[in-house]
Amino acid sequence: MSAQPRRNVVTNALAQIGEAGLFLLTLLAAVPRSLRHVRETVRQLWFVGAMSLTIIMVCGLFVGMVLGLQLYYVLSIFGGTAASGTVVAIAIYRELGPVVTALLFAGRAGTSVTAEIGLMRATDQLAAMEMMAVDPIAYVAVPRYLAGLIAMPLLCAVFCALGIFGGHLVGVTWLGIDNGTFWSNMTATVDVWKDVVNGILVKSLAFGAVVSLIAVYQGYTTPPTSEGVAYATTRTVVASSIAILALDFVLTAFLM
Amino acid sequence: MTTFAAPTEPLVRIRGLTTVLNGKTIFDALDLDIPRGKVTAIMGPSGTGKTTLLKHVTGQMRGDAGQVLVDGQDVPELSREKLFALREKIGYLFQNSALLTDFDVFENVAFPLRQHTQLPEVLIRNIVLTKLQAVGLRGAAGLMPAELSGGMARRVALARAIVFDPMLILYDEPFVGLDPIALSQVLKLIRTLNETLGITSVLVAHELEAIKQVADHVYLIANGKVVAQGDPKTIAEDGSPWTRQFFGGAIDGPVPFQYPADDYAQALGLAGARA
Ligand SMILES: Nc1ncnc2c1ncn2[C@@H]1O[C@H](COP(=O)(O)OP(=O)(O)OP(=O)(O)O)[C@@H](O)[C@H]1O
Ligand SMILES: [Mg+2]
Repeated sequence: MSAQPRRNVVTNALAQIGEAGLFLLTLLAAVPRSLRHVRETVRQLWFVGAMSLTIIMVCGLFVGMVLGLQLYYVLSIFGGTAASGTVVAIAIYRELGPVVTALLFAGRAGTSVTAEIGLMRATDQLAAMEMMAVDPIAYVAVPRYLAGLIAMPLLCAVFCALGIFGGHLVGVTWLGIDNGTFWSNMTATVDVWKDVVNGILVKSLAFGAVVSLIAVYQGYTTPPTSEGVAYATTRTVVASSIAILALDFVLTAFLM
Repeated sequence: MTTFAAPTEPLVRIRGLTTVLNGKTIFDALDLDIPRGKVTAIMGPSGTGKTTLLKHVTGQMRGDAGQVLVDGQDVPELSREKLFALREKIGYLFQNSALLTDFDVFENVAFPLRQHTQLPEVLIRNIVLTKLQAVGLRGAAGLMPAELSGGMARRVALARAIVFDPMLILYDEPFVGLDPIALSQVLKLIRTLNETLGITSVLVAHELEAIKQVADHVYLIANGKVVAQGDPKTIAEDGSPWTRQFFGGAIDGPVPFQYPADDYAQALGLAGARA
């Protein structure tokens, strides 16, 4: 708009963050009203959660396998391959699980949420709901937001399980690390609260909250044109990736 | 018009509505009444603000000044809850259908029922199929919106707009893209809804011949005001320069054909040559 003051990149980003924050308050205020639409939330949970399972499982497996392979080579220099189980588990629970899951989720589910809501806006579907006295915030935005929030830790848990399986597959089954050592070292050093709960629950819930907010906000506020929807989808991936990695640093600094 | 001296209040009463969008005056102290239980048509050149007017009636947009009273309530002043309660009694046919692409035809028509009532499934099914039958699309109940033609999508949107038997139905260009058979079916439907259920209808349309068959009264809007009104059968011959030009299709006259713009010669770079 020509009436608004010119913004540079920094003020623009800050303004967007502020607007997204206000949008979050709108969403939270609408949560009680959206309880009527539980079925819609479940349906969205299926779309963003269950439909992301394949990519999460495949990627988790490969990340774990690569980790097992790299660790085997590095640790065998020092004759310490027995520690491989510990390092795989800690790396996956603390960092790779929540971060990679969130990045994949932003690309797989976040973009489709943005594009879907953006197209609903462009084709007047949101206006039609308003006209049928159905609040689109409560019916469209909140269910998708909650679905993302709930799906993220679950997907992260699946990712971690498959990652450790992948590490075990390469390290123990293929390269011959002792099975008992692999597991016992892991269980002896991995702490349920510090590693598993912090990673799967705290980090991925935080990522879920941020990625879902970005996806829903971008879709809801996009200009109602094909170009606008295309840009909004891109912005979802870019903003989510930056937010995930920045937030990861902050959370790690506070949690460790 | 004697019908306008009827004892009941008009269902929609617009007084002094003034709206400026992006520096362009869309409505300039517009006065307009929609009488209860009648079919009222609104005509006017493209871009004159007919869709915008319907959006004011439903509270999707607010004017800068003036009153929009619907059933005695001042729409711009209503709280969100009251506005939603009012909208449950209004059916709205969007100019571009606006069907929910996630759902099939049946669920699209059932959507308002499912959202606002706890009716048993059998009853919902009966109501939805009745409405689809009325627009001739009962057989298309299982199709997705993407599988419909433009004209079919409009009829589904029409079925959805009337599913609640609202007190007021606003049709934004209901006749666009209909073949002559579907057109007379839709005309009959509008008439039937009006006569049997007493539903007040507002039609925005460009087809004078169709309007003649259903509408009791017609408003011609141009330049942000009502420039002519009357019985649709005779309005074209009322002798005013507005109706003579609009219905005669002349490019020159009081109704502007061009969107407001700066000097044409200047825009083409011919200003110097003329000076
Ligand atoms: N959201 C908006 N912001 C700014 N201007 C708008 C907006 N919506 C509509 N307008 C302007 O308002 C005017 C009226 O638009 P409207 O859609 O009501 O026209 P209309 O009479 O329905 O035309 P048509 O017969 O082509 O559908 C147009 O000049 C348009 O440029
Ligand atoms: Mg229009």
